[in-house]
Amino acid sequence: MIEVKNLYKDYGTVVAVHDVSFEVKAGEVVGFLGPNGAGKSTTLRMLAGFLGATSGEIRINGFDIVEDAMSARKSIGYMPEMCPLYGEMRVGEYLRFRSELKGVPRRDRKSDVDTAMTDARVSHMSETRIQHLSKGYRQRVGLADALIGRPPLLILDEPTAGLDPNQIREVRRLIRGLAGKHTVLVSTHILSEVETTCDRAVIIDKGRTVASGTIDQLRTERRTLGAVLRLHDPVDTLAAVLDSAGGLSSWSQTITTELGVELSANETSPYSRVSVEYAPSPLPTQDVLEQIVKALVASGVGVREATETKASLEDVFAQLTRDTGGGPTESQPATVVDDSEEAST
Amino acid sequence: MRGFVAVFKREMLGLWVTPLAWIVTAVFLTLQGWSFYTLVEYYAKFTTVSVDQGPLQAYFVSPFIVMSLMMICPALSMRLFAEERRSGTIEALLTAPVSAVGVVFGKYAAVLATYGLMWLPTLAYPIILRNTGHVDWPVVASSYLGIFGIGASYLSIGMFMSAMTRSQLIALVLTIMVLFGTFILGLGEFIFDEGPLRDMCTHISVRGQLGDFAKGIIDLRRVVLDATAIGLPLFMTVRVVDSWRFG
Repeated sequence: MIEVKNLYKDYGTVVAVHDVSFEVKAGEVVGFLGPNGAGKSTTLRMLAGFLGATSGEIRINGFDIVEDAMSARKSIGYMPEMCPLYGEMRVGEYLRFRSELKGVPRRDRKSDVDTAMTDARVSHMSETRIQHLSKGYRQRVGLADALIGRPPLLILDEPTAGLDPNQIREVRRLIRGLAGKHTVLVSTHILSEVETTCDRAVIIDKGRTVASGTIDQLRTERRTLGAVLRLHDPVDTLAAVLDSAGGLSSWSQTITTELGVELSANETSPYSRVSVEYAPSPLPTQDVLEQIVKALVASGVGVREATETKASLEDVFAQLTRDTGGGPTESQPATVVDDSEEAST
Repeated sequence: MRGFVAVFKREMLGLWVTPLAWIVTAVFLTLQGWSFYTLVEYYAKFTTVSVDQGPLQAYFVSPFIVMSLMMICPALSMRLFAEERRSGTIEALLTAPVSAVGVVFGKYAAVLATYGLMWLPTLAYPIILRNTGHVDWPVVASSYLGIFGIGASYLSIGMFMSAMTRSQLIALVLTIMVLFGTFILGLGEFIFDEGPLRDMCTHISVRGQLGDFAKGIIDLRRVVLDATAIGLPLFMTVRVVDSWRFG
């Protein structure tokens, strides 16, 4: 559905997009992920045919964005960042204008606009002037606009930016509902959004693609940080056991009961929950857990459960976007905002 | 011309739903009405001056018209592109399957139609005069043609300026400056001695054009000048819009 090859965008003083290549297959919901200023919007604008690329090739639905601009643009429902709309128009009026602009045949316009309004859940606002709408509703109108003409591909630029948590959930639900009917490319700087709504993610930073793959593939890239063990026996023997387990040069332990209450040294309880943090180890991390369990079992400690704790996707993201590029900005951690932070802004 | 009709309709709606077109029209008609009234009064009092021209001719050549057009046309055209670029709606507009020509001509046709609607009530003037005297309708038609030509070129220049900036105010000021510049050039008619320079100024002169057309003289040179002043900025605007996309 989307083929991007060696895309460059040079703004003269800044190279905003540097050799970006990726592909989106029909039917996929792909997250386009990157910190602010990574070149997400620039890339999406080039995909939507609003900006010309300095070099590189973009094919949408098989049409070259330059050679077959009209056919390519007809295949796209694009929702720009911040969702600019004509404030003086009513919602229905605006969507009818958009459907005419997108070349929907006259007899289909009404039903097309109605379906789009239903899908984006703005039908009851059809007579309201856009300037009187809240941010969440404007966003939905933008989404309805993208749906006009039933384009096979939707490109949504930060559809949840600036919304409150309820609205974010609502928009995500809408996007998730569109999967199957449309191919969706959605940009965001929020990782959990990709986790909840997308099948696959393309991560870019400083204008370069740093990773791309299914959400599961990205998860396997997560470094294992440690493990949580549920033990039958009192935990005070654990230190000695773990010290004897190979490959753990150093580790720290917090001991909590099942209720999550910290356990002091002289207290003991069956079914203790112990979390172990791995120090960087030469061993593959799955071997470490094996070693620990082996050592515990050998010393007679009953192991009820052993689960590895993995770095969150946020950590992977931060790691990926820190490793690339260079220069003085390298030391700055990438901006990764999760839901709770987003909601407070 | 893809998107022409849709853009035209939206632009008309944008102009007439917001107060802009109404305010401009109200101010314009008040000034024109006042100008016409004083002229009729004057010609009614001094019947001797009405031998070779009537109040209608005087009305169409009055500097009042040029002055008001130099203010009103830029006010109509200033928002065409500047507003869309400032608010970002241009992004949604240009990513739709429309051609730059369709967008530019749609917008231009809308302000031109608005301009026409603005002048429409002034048709009442010759109709009123017909009750008391003779009205030479072909001359009235040529006078309107002259006014249409000037307005159309002013609006075309104004639209080009609007495409050059994100600020409506800057678009307005730039357009007024350019229009005032051409007006000043036209005054060269009274400054320079006989020669090509003076001829050039005479032909550029907006007042000269209004004067000719109000007498019923349709000079091809003036028509060509108007067509150029309409066509060139239109063409350049199309190129500017294309350049955003492929810059």
